[in-house]
Amino acid sequence: MKLGFILGEVGSGLRRNLSMVVSVVLVTFISLTFVGTAALMQMQITQMKGYWYDKVQVAIYLCGEHNEGTNCAEGAVTEGQRGEIESMLGSAAVKPYVENFEYESKEQALTHFREQFDNSSMSETVTADQLPESFRVSLVDPEKYQIIKELFSSMDGVDVVVDQRELLEKIFSIINIASFVAIGIAGVMILCAVLLVGTTIRLSAYLRRRETGIMRLVGASKSSLQLPFVLEGVISALIGALLASGVLWAAVRFLIDDKLALEYKDTAFISTGEVFMVAPWLILLGVVLAGVSSLVTLRRYLKV
Amino acid sequence: MIRFENVTMVYDQKSRLGSENARPGLDDVTIEIDRGDFAFLVGASGSGKSTFLRLILREIVATGGSVHVAGQNVARIPSWRVPKLRRGIGVVFQDFRLLPQKNVFENVAFAMQVVGESRSAIRDHVPEVLKLVGLEGKEKRQPDELSGGEQQRVAIARAIANKPQILLADEPTGNLDPATSVGIMNVLDRINQNGTTVIMATHDDGIVNSMRRRVVELSLGKIMRDESAGEYTSMIPVINQDGTRELRQADHSTWQKPSTGNQAFAPFDTEDDMP
Repeated sequence: MKLGFILGEVGSGLRRNLSMVVSVVLVTFISLTFVGTAALMQMQITQMKGYWYDKVQVAIYLCGEHNEGTNCAEGAVTEGQRGEIESMLGSAAVKPYVENFEYESKEQALTHFREQFDNSSMSETVTADQLPESFRVSLVDPEKYQIIKELFSSMDGVDVVVDQRELLEKIFSIINIASFVAIGIAGVMILCAVLLVGTTIRLSAYLRRRETGIMRLVGASKSSLQLPFVLEGVISALIGALLASGVLWAAVRFLIDDKLALEYKDTAFISTGEVFMVAPWLILLGVVLAGVSSLVTLRRYLKV
Repeated sequence: MIRFENVTMVYDQKSRLGSENARPGLDDVTIEIDRGDFAFLVGASGSGKSTFLRLILREIVATGGSVHVAGQNVARIPSWRVPKLRRGIGVVFQDFRLLPQKNVFENVAFAMQVVGESRSAIRDHVPEVLKLVGLEGKEKRQPDELSGGEQQRVAIARAIANKPQILLADEPTGNLDPATSVGIMNVLDRINQNGTTVIMATHDDGIVNSMRRRVVELSLGKIMRDESAGEYTSMIPVINQDGTRELRQADHSTWQKPSTGNQAFAPFDTEDDMP
């Protein structure tokens, strides 16, 4: 009974204050969408790091027939040069840094290339001779890449030493910047949402001062006086949070699952599972912010 | 039931320290109102009637002395227990304060819903209360379809819906014509006869004079008069030296309690003044 009564009060409050409630819903929705986007972008980075950092290696490309690198004056790498590089990788000076290394021949390079560009027409035309042979080196500590680069760059028969991680770092920094921007916008929007919830509750308390005045006189407890207003804010925020979660889910489902993930098969993408991890936190955040800001407002504007 | 002990209420304490002009809302008031009493609170606007009622409700807390309601010092009640105090007190106002979008039944039921009464209790009790105030058969009316007197009856029904021991009425007949007022007074009298203590602040001299109940007169925050079956005014006709007649306020500053002059008409209720 009591619950029914309070819910009835909440319902009448929401109806009487509809335009403000809609604006709270929208502002919460937008701000939480940005928060969720930032969270998902960070998850995407983590996902990619986990996927790539194991695979990504330092590649020591060896000279081919037509390379013009400084160490490639004599044309393709010779058997002896290759042996020298291999023994250098196994030497005492280098060993502490290297977890393992393996030689990738032109043929293996071609196989990998074909796997990677499965659909594109390029894979048909490329031949093994066009691809360089290389040593793929996994480092114990990927940060120590510079040492390996210095040691091998100057060796004869080495075309170029590439840290594949550097390429990834560029992508990560772009995603990072994007997620910081999202967080920044989210911060401003959340501030808006909190203030708007406060204003809405204030207006609602004003519109219903007659009811609350009577409730106070007939001995309504503090909680039954305040609860309808707090619930009003919380329900608006909850609707906003659910909308935000829904939009994020749709974005991931239709943009990533159905498009990006199909186009870039060898990249790990977040999926709707991650949205389901983020959504409860968005809902919690929305509800807590709305609850706190309505309670703070009520302390000033609703005498008990 | 209600006991004021040397109650002083100063609204703006800071300005009082600064200037001599600031006047307390109530000034050293001591009075006791017993269970089942019916007391009129009279006095000019600003004399402290509303302050008196608000102190009982603990809307405000006295700056000096203590207010006891049903044996409790209200200043000592923790704020979370104040609603419980107010459940034992019904309040009626001059402007009715009904909820316009609720019908008669819902307005009365609202008071019971607020304190968490069950649906069945509300269904049983509301018609009883409406019958007591003389509104049988009007449960479904909206407030704007009712006359002023009927609206006030709804407000009274709401005030007594939770069976309070005390009913405070702040000029309940202020917006009503004399005939309607008599009807309202009959309702309040009936409620009083059921054992509820009624305190009514009023300016309606006709009602006070005809009811012959206890009258407490406040002036500038002090109790000027407390008679067990008093009249609205203690003003006395005076014949001036030039032969004209006028009503003159009994001189309060020199007014003494065991005044022999008025006693025949209005014996003082001295027990209530003694602590």
